[in-house]
Amino acid sequence: MRTLTALIVVVLLVPGAWAAPAASRGEVLYRQGLLPTGEPLRGTREADVNVEGAAAACVSCHRRSGLGSQEGRYIIPPIIGRYLFRPGLRNIEDMNVPHVEGYRPNRSAYTDETLARAIRDGIDADGRELNYLMPRFKLDDAAMKDLIAYLRQLTSQPVPGVTEDTLHFATIITPDTDPAKRQAMLSVLEQFFADKNSFIRGGHRTMHASREIMYRVTRQWKLHVWELNGPPETWEQQLHERLTAEPVFAVISGLGGKTWAPVHRFCEHEGVPCLLPNIDLPVVAENDFYPVYFSKGILLEAQLISRQIREMESRPRKVTQIFRRGDIGEDAAAAVRSSLLPEGMQVQDIALPESGLPQMVGSVLKDNSAGSVVVLWLRPGDLAALPEALPQVPSVFISGLMGGLEHSPVPTSWREAAHMSYPFDLPDQRRIRMNFPSIWFKVHNIPVVDERMQSDTYLACGILAETLAEMLDSFVRDYLVERVEIMLSHRVITGYYPRLGLAPGQRFASKGGYMVKLAGKEGNRLVADSNWIVP
Amino acid sequence: MRPIRTMLGIALAFGMAGAPAAYAGDEMHMGMNMDMSHMDMSGGAGTGPHAHHHHMEQQKVTRMTADYSVPQIRLVRDDNRTVSLPDEMNDGRPVILNFIYTACTAVCPVTSRTFEQLQDMLGNDRDKVHMISITIDPEQDTPERLSAYARKYDAKSQWRFYTGSSEAILAAQRAFDVYHGDKMNHAPVTLLRAAPGQSWLRIDGFASADELLGEYRKLVHAP
Repeated sequence: MRTLTALIVVVLLVPGAWAAPAASRGEVLYRQGLLPTGEPLRGTREADVNVEGAAAACVSCHRRSGLGSQEGRYIIPPIIGRYLFRPGLRNIEDMNVPHVEGYRPNRSAYTDETLARAIRDGIDADGRELNYLMPRFKLDDAAMKDLIAYLRQLTSQPVPGVTEDTLHFATIITPDTDPAKRQAMLSVLEQFFADKNSFIRGGHRTMHASREIMYRVTRQWKLHVWELNGPPETWEQQLHERLTAEPVFAVISGLGGKTWAPVHRFCEHEGVPCLLPNIDLPVVAENDFYPVYFSKGILLEAQLISRQIREMESRPRKVTQIFRRGDIGEDAAAAVRSSLLPEGMQVQDIALPESGLPQMVGSVLKDNSAGSVVVLWLRPGDLAALPEALPQVPSVFISGLMGGLEHSPVPTSWREAAHMSYPFDLPDQRRIRMNFPSIWFKVHNIPVVDERMQSDTYLACGILAETLAEMLDSFVRDYLVERVEIMLSHRVITGYYPRLGLAPGQRFASKGGYMVKLAGKEGNRLVADSNWIVP
Repeated sequence: MRPIRTMLGIALAFGMAGAPAAYAGDEMHMGMNMDMSHMDMSGGAGTGPHAHHHHMEQQKVTRMTADYSVPQIRLVRDDNRTVSLPDEMNDGRPVILNFIYTACTAVCPVTSRTFEQLQDMLGNDRDKVHMISITIDPEQDTPERLSAYARKYDAKSQWRFYTGSSEAILAAQRAFDVYHGDKMNHAPVTLLRAAPGQSWLRIDGFASADELLGEYRKLVHAP
């Protein structure tokens, strides 16, 4: 009896405790298009343009947040309870929910019955027919109940990191990063946040109705710097503890070294958007929702180099790769290997010890490279110690990201011979776009220690600011990612990248690169060795 | 300049024409996105949110005849071959063409399914037609991705998919006047042409496979 009482008390204390299973069945229906029976959801349209399963799932148009979207001339309304079940307004200025693109405030409130009619028969709360794009779904009463229960609670929980007057963000720094780079990144982030906050005039409350749009207060931005320590296995737990102690709305930028995977997992598990960190080895998992990267980094270089080797006029029989054990080149080499082995090429990987004399690269090369294409996944220290004479091999490829891009210190004879992967726009072509960050750094007296990294940091902040400005007061983590997806390709100021773009299921904003060669005997001039390649 | 445009749309929808200036200022100080070309100051028939207040009405399909001059654009077909777009269109068969992208979730599944139905309805006449779907997300839609998409819609040999460089894809969209500044902004358009040198029939909106078949038959049987 005591147990029973305890149970009843628990149920009473936890509102919605009974609804949880229904909500999760609703979630499967909403996100995966699967009915509680396990059968695919089926939607019909006129002229038999039907959808089924994942393609029929609500999420594909109304998005994960449920706040809807817009595609071309078609608006896709928000379908979370807060919008569906609120009565229509006579005076639109009295709207007291944040405006989202697809919301029509003059529509009457739905009831469970009229909502079921809308989903089954395409008739809205006022008896009007819904747009052709919205399929009509055959759902039995139980499945309908699950779905409506899910919609009622979707995107209705309080959002961590958002208070009446402040938006909290974090940036994450792993312990294996260069302190100078860390400082360089933080100087950009801190300045951007200070700039953002200096434009805020105090004294206004947050927006309660649309009529306040002109007077809307922008919230302060607060940056939390989460510096990790210890081995990577402990990072996820550390991050979890930081998030509990300092709830943030999103993670912006950041700096990583050899692995970012624990951070990626944290973002995805906790449902925190992690936007555009400074890392060269991201996690390739584009079905994950929350982590968003500038590019595939070193893995993009691996794709570019593999493609060049596959397309060489006389196909090499053998490819030799040299990298340092434990550095990101190891992952890139593995990617090249798995791309070339099925082509019938012999791939020889030489892992140098984690640390060791740079001069050893020369002797390793001499002993192993005969008749082989050579790929070097090496840092500037090793490149500078290469022997002056170029080895007699069909072709040499160098990672630009690891070697230092146009500053790669290869010996003179290598400069015009080695092919370098360059996953950015060419210096001459990005000059005008780079004026924006460069002048901003100058105006704020920010020393440029690592131009690309600092420009990317500035870009990440700008993308965040622009996206938030468009979201008005709809601070929802999922919606932030959805809006970044939509906003990104509109940007003209894209720093090192010729263009950026995302879409549902796309998490790498820049998708290609050049092959280049260093020009002349010295300096940092490049010549393009290819057009922009999207491997 | 999407933020400003959207703000403007919201402000116009709310009858508050004074608001955008304040937001324009707020955006500008970020100094990040200075492209004014997408800005829709009319607040009327453009692509801003204000233009969508009829979305509950039945789908309207409009048809018009147009002459497009298609420049020599190199595209990459779903079989990885580099081809010239004019040559592909001038292979002697009537052309039915649209623009899609594989990550598109609302509009393209409908237009691609419609092409699939049209392909079935054509029956034995299928191979007399050349159906062309050009991606507007070229850097994502590799030939491999397009082939997988083609399989999803059971595309037969007369229905081919094309990608290319960003520049080439932009030129193709401009040539057919379907470029709206961004892939997310694209609208359903089907273009039909009976033979090289003839005019194009342009159909805006979600035409059904029946309607497309009717238009196609009229077009190829026209004297």
